[in-house]
Amino acid sequence: MRDGEIQATRIWKRFRADRQRQLLRDQLDRVKRRLSGGSNAHGWRWALRDVDMAVGQGESIGLIGPNGSGKTTMLRLLAKVMYPYAGRVAVGGRVGALIDVRAGIHPDLTGAENVYLYGSLLGVSRREVARKFDEIVAFGELETAIDRQVKFYSSGMHVRLGFAIAAFTEPDVLLVDEVLAVGDAAFQQKCLDRMRAVLAQGTTVVFVSHDLQAVESICERAIWLRDGVVESDGPVREVLGDYRRTVEQAAEILTPAVGLVRVVKSEIRTPGGDTPVSQEPLEVKLVLESPEPLWASMSIGVSEGPATPIFLLGHEALLPAGQTELRCSIPFLPLPRGRFYLWFGIIESTRDLVPWHPVGQFEVLGPELTPTPRGILRMAPVQVTPTWEVEQR
Amino acid sequence: MTAASSRVTEPPADLLFRLKVRVIPAIREVWQRRELVRTLAERDLRVRYKQAVLGIAWSILTPLALMIVFTVFFQRVAKVDTGGAPYALFTYLGLLPWTFFSTSVSQGGQSLVVNNQLVNKVYCPREVFPLASMAVAAVDTLLATLVLGLLFVVTEFMPKPTTLWVPVLLAVQVAFTFGVTLVLSAVLVFLRDLRHVLPIILQLGLFATPVAYGMDVVAKSLQVPYSIANPLAPVIDGYRRTVLLGLPPDWHLLGPAAVAAALWLAVGYVVFKRLEPGFADYA
Repeated sequence: MRDGEIQATRIWKRFRADRQRQLLRDQLDRVKRRLSGGSNAHGWRWALRDVDMAVGQGESIGLIGPNGSGKTTMLRLLAKVMYPYAGRVAVGGRVGALIDVRAGIHPDLTGAENVYLYGSLLGVSRREVARKFDEIVAFGELETAIDRQVKFYSSGMHVRLGFAIAAFTEPDVLLVDEVLAVGDAAFQQKCLDRMRAVLAQGTTVVFVSHDLQAVESICERAIWLRDGVVESDGPVREVLGDYRRTVEQAAEILTPAVGLVRVVKSEIRTPGGDTPVSQEPLEVKLVLESPEPLWASMSIGVSEGPATPIFLLGHEALLPAGQTELRCSIPFLPLPRGRFYLWFGIIESTRDLVPWHPVGQFEVLGPELTPTPRGILRMAPVQVTPTWEVEQR
Repeated sequence: MTAASSRVTEPPADLLFRLKVRVIPAIREVWQRRELVRTLAERDLRVRYKQAVLGIAWSILTPLALMIVFTVFFQRVAKVDTGGAPYALFTYLGLLPWTFFSTSVSQGGQSLVVNNQLVNKVYCPREVFPLASMAVAAVDTLLATLVLGLLFVVTEFMPKPTTLWVPVLLAVQVAFTFGVTLVLSAVLVFLRDLRHVLPIILQLGLFATPVAYGMDVVAKSLQVPYSIANPLAPVIDGYRRTVLLGLPPDWHLLGPAAVAAALWLAVGYVVFKRLEPGFADYA
């Protein structure tokens, strides 16, 4: 096995699901049940079932999936923090795992003391930490706080300290679990840059995140876990595309519109009634039904991934009792080719006449968006038509 | 492939994971991470002294207080035969290994549970946690040994040249302590309520060990089984014989105790490794 390779075959992992705790009485209970021939199977919940994962040296893998799908468990198994119930895990070389950067940091110690503590937890010698100390402090932007006890740090500083130490450990395999969630935008970008630098050095990266844009900006390949089973494994764009679609579909089903006003019908077309085209006019048609006349402040939004709209349009109007047709015309559609979702809501400060929810999805035809270079977070796709001039001076 | 595997509800039996314990590589790994033991011990010491007004005095306080209590009461009431040495020295020599043992076991026993944040989030050989607790106990003992030096001065008593035997006794003492600490730290993860019983057992242990009294309290015929059951007894007896009386250790008792201590260490290590796969799941 070469350094930086990951070979996990047919991994099974289960956790206790019964309500009993790790106490003498409960353990005796379990023994009693087993002796009396009772099955113990219902007391377990499978976190991972028959998961295969093979990663080559220098690859960058994104692990995605909803909460509780087994992403973090998988990462812990790769980090050797946990052992599988069945299957084989082999990871070549030094492993650096950022599963919870706050775990190794003791609140009663100062930042500087913690740098040494966390460093040696991650397997870095004191001498090495001492050599990089200034770099670590500078990376975490903690120059003024390093001699203070960590319990007086803000949560952002806390995470910056953890990530700064971890970023300088130089492992062969770097496992990262949702550490970018805290910290301001500038620090997040710094972390991404650091991860890109680490990738450039040939380190293998496995990245777990709910932030699909971040996954897309770092990883070439993605593995989608669903309920402890690999749903798909392939190039990041394809897997993320499939994933977004199902998440959206699930959201559509899960969000029943329980407001006072009902959305009867939605249509997203060109004015001529065709499939929407990038940079062409678009018309959104909604049929609403209200039991009484209302002064409504309506919002329409378009999203690519779950919930974060690319743009929002607001309008106030009087809705008479009965059915009303609402038409919104956009003279120039700024979206690239792809699949998008239309969201609608009538939201007042005291009540939601129509809760914010997806009311339809639509395809847009047109040119593909410029591919995002690695390490840049693309929040939402917008098609802009620039003119470029490159002139020697 | 995906659809098929989601229908299977149990892994085939031949896939079940077994942790292969290879002793030499495991020990080598702990040795490579010795800096971590030091750092963890340092963390515990720093955290302790940051809060405490008395600072390092805490390390000395327990054995010193017990020594004074024992000297005042036992010496008057029980008339212990110390073989001519001052009673304060006699009992303090018993208190040093006992305090090391009881601190190691009570702190080290809980080390995996207390450090659960690290156990289930950071990889390192798990032995470092009980080892770090023992290192803290060792620092305490070292500081308390300074008081022993002071006691020699005060009582105007000279340690005998046979004190050279001390490393042998120390080896038996540390092996036994480490073995017990390993077992307890691992078992405590799965039987959390044991931590409430532990202080009581240790309290009783203090009186089941010849700390306040001498080995001669136990009948001659029972001394060997007693030494096997409680390897600390001949160790403490050995400290007194070598340091205070100028005699070699009593090999008839120390021999079986050394075997028992080695057994504790071996069994402790096996138990620890056997239970290790569950640490992160339950800690």
